[in-house]
Amino acid sequence: MPSSDSDPPEFTRVDWDEASSGRRRPSARTAGFALALLAVVGLLAYDLTVAPEETLPPLDWDVDRSGWFVVVALVVLARYVFVPLLADRDRTARHVTAFLDRPAGVLALGYLLAFGLVGVFGPELFEFTYAKLDARLQPPVFAGVNASVADGYSCVGPVADGVCRGTWQYPLGTNYIGENVVEGLIGGMHIAVKIGVATAVVMAAVATTVGTVAGYYGGWVDDLLMRYVDVQQTIPAIVVYIVIATLFLGNVEGVSDGGTLAFVLVFGLLDWGGIARLVRGEAIQRRSAGYVRAATAAGASDLHVIRRHVVPNSTATIVTALTRRIPLLVLAQVGLAYLALNSVRPASFGELLRVSLEGRHMPWYVQWWTSMPAVVLLVGLVVACNVFGDTVRDVLDPREEVR
Amino acid sequence: MSDPLLNVRDLRVTFETDEGVVRAVDGVDFEVRAGETVCLVGESGSGKTVACESITGLIPDSTATIDGEVVFDGTDLTDCSASTLESHRGGRIGHVFQNPQDALDPVYTVGQQVVEAIRIHRDVSKTAAREEAVALLDRVGIGEAEVRFDDYPHQFSGGMKQRAVVAMALAPDPDLLIADEPTTALDVTIQRQVLTLLADLQEERGMAMLFVTHDLGVVAEVGDRVVVTYAGEVMESAGVPALFDDPAHPYTRALLACLPGRGDPFETIGGSMPDPTDPPDGCRFHPRCPHAVADCERGDHPAFRSPAPVTEDGPDAGPDRDGAVEPDHAVACVLYDEDHALPAALEVADD
Repeated sequence: MPSSDSDPPEFTRVDWDEASSGRRRPSARTAGFALALLAVVGLLAYDLTVAPEETLPPLDWDVDRSGWFVVVALVVLARYVFVPLLADRDRTARHVTAFLDRPAGVLALGYLLAFGLVGVFGPELFEFTYAKLDARLQPPVFAGVNASVADGYSCVGPVADGVCRGTWQYPLGTNYIGENVVEGLIGGMHIAVKIGVATAVVMAAVATTVGTVAGYYGGWVDDLLMRYVDVQQTIPAIVVYIVIATLFLGNVEGVSDGGTLAFVLVFGLLDWGGIARLVRGEAIQRRSAGYVRAATAAGASDLHVIRRHVVPNSTATIVTALTRRIPLLVLAQVGLAYLALNSVRPASFGELLRVSLEGRHMPWYVQWWTSMPAVVLLVGLVVACNVFGDTVRDVLDPREEVR
Repeated sequence: MSDPLLNVRDLRVTFETDEGVVRAVDGVDFEVRAGETVCLVGESGSGKTVACESITGLIPDSTATIDGEVVFDGTDLTDCSASTLESHRGGRIGHVFQNPQDALDPVYTVGQQVVEAIRIHRDVSKTAAREEAVALLDRVGIGEAEVRFDDYPHQFSGGMKQRAVVAMALAPDPDLLIADEPTTALDVTIQRQVLTLLADLQEERGMAMLFVTHDLGVVAEVGDRVVVTYAGEVMESAGVPALFDDPAHPYTRALLACLPGRGDPFETIGGSMPDPTDPPDGCRFHPRCPHAVADCERGDHPAFRSPAPVTEDGPDAGPDRDGAVEPDHAVACVLYDEDHALPAALEVADD
């Protein structure tokens, strides 16, 4: 019902000479983003120059170089994912409601959250113990192993009928040098989270930029960028990584010392072709959408149209593509570590599997507890990422709302 | 008379396609004076929309070639910097498109989009822009604007969306509003409401309007002057009363006859639009024209002439057959030159 106001408000007269003066001030978000980045850089400088050996005071947290990268990635994530979500509470609430209606998605998110939390805070919360050689290859609690399989095997728990039983001291058992499997898993999760988040953020930034620019402008820009993507995709990032790592990054005890940072940079900068293609397709569709034409007709610049209309309408595609990519990245790192082509600290799942499947002292199928938990966690990660991505796509896709 | 607000001269827009060069707009002239409503009328495919969109350069350079002059308030928009063009789009020249279903971004609330339209051209705070946006939504007839501000486009009906789109187009206070079939996608009752709204707003703000439509009924309601286009060319331009009382071009007559309530029921124009890649010589309407003569098939598009018949009323209404075009009513038809006798069917009807 239109207003019954007898004196309806008129459209404001605009003095164009006055209105078009000066550049727009940066928004609070941009300012906050810049401040956060500056703070990280400041802390990094402090860590490098003033107190290189010490840990950061409040957290008692010694951040390595890939750690800094992850922190930057988290800042970017906060700026482009969490801030918009918080700023638009109505919409977020609607999405959350829609998300909660999908139990598979909730379950997947729960798994990812647990995985992420343990991965990030686990190494800080759990006191890592020294490996004890005389406690090697202990079975997990409620399981047992034939104590006579290996020479010089000593059992920490009770031995009954020649079968060594597991104890709560090592809930998931120990490996061949007596390291607690739980600690190994936490380390592996830590690496997986670090690799996944940092690489995904780099990839998302590059792929979104290239994809939208190519799709939105079309013509020779599109040709140039997409031909580059073709070339890039003929050389898998994993090959580039192996060459760089083995030739240039030195090695430690026969293992190429390409650490986390090298992995993140190589994969983040070279493995985004597929995502860029998807985003490009999306941008081509958006380019001819009515609201893009309307925004252009209203005098919005290309940058404004891309940032406000093209990218937000492609979020569902980007998120889905990333959730499919992240587990592959984690698996790639696991594979490289398994092949002793990548060395990270703490050891990743790949190194755990390599050591475990070597079957020292007892065959790998006898010491199953050293490999199975890592495999189960990885399978869970892949499934959860995919289910989560599908659910998010269903929830986010703006086209669903129109119908 | 002062210079017109918008002066389009010899506008030509061509598209390169696989089938050949499509001349969507081929030498179109018209002008819009401050405060008046000019209607661009023609069948689908006659180049109305392309002509409108090329005014502010909305057709991407990569696909089309635009020639001619589009002078808006002293600035030639076909020959100016990208930033000048951007400040004219929206700021001086507002645009309302045909399909409101598609014109709002599903990702943002309607209110946010009106705020965006305000803030593209003006450096105002979000709070001030929000207040203004609510006032605008209220003004275009969206009830409980304060509440509906936070609704998403899919929660709006078609008519409300078009109202919101109008609010967005008018937010930066343009001098000219280009309305490209703004009511075509709406049902009849809503059409009338939106037309009334546009007319009210135009009067309130003294804004000029270029109204594209294929519906002569709408023209009669909102227009001051009419430009009739066919296959990318202007056939006739006239004041609204003159066009309806005294349509000169056979095409205009045929269009009018198609209006329900005039002419025979269900009358149509026989044939169809010419192939845009290979239009006929001479008058492009001649293959479908009931009055076509041999001269119609030759040469270029006929020159504009005044169709005013010989009368004894006075010198002003007298014939002007020396080629000087009387500005308010001009027709491009060879039948109105000195060499041809006007067919009886085209004489001014007395009904």
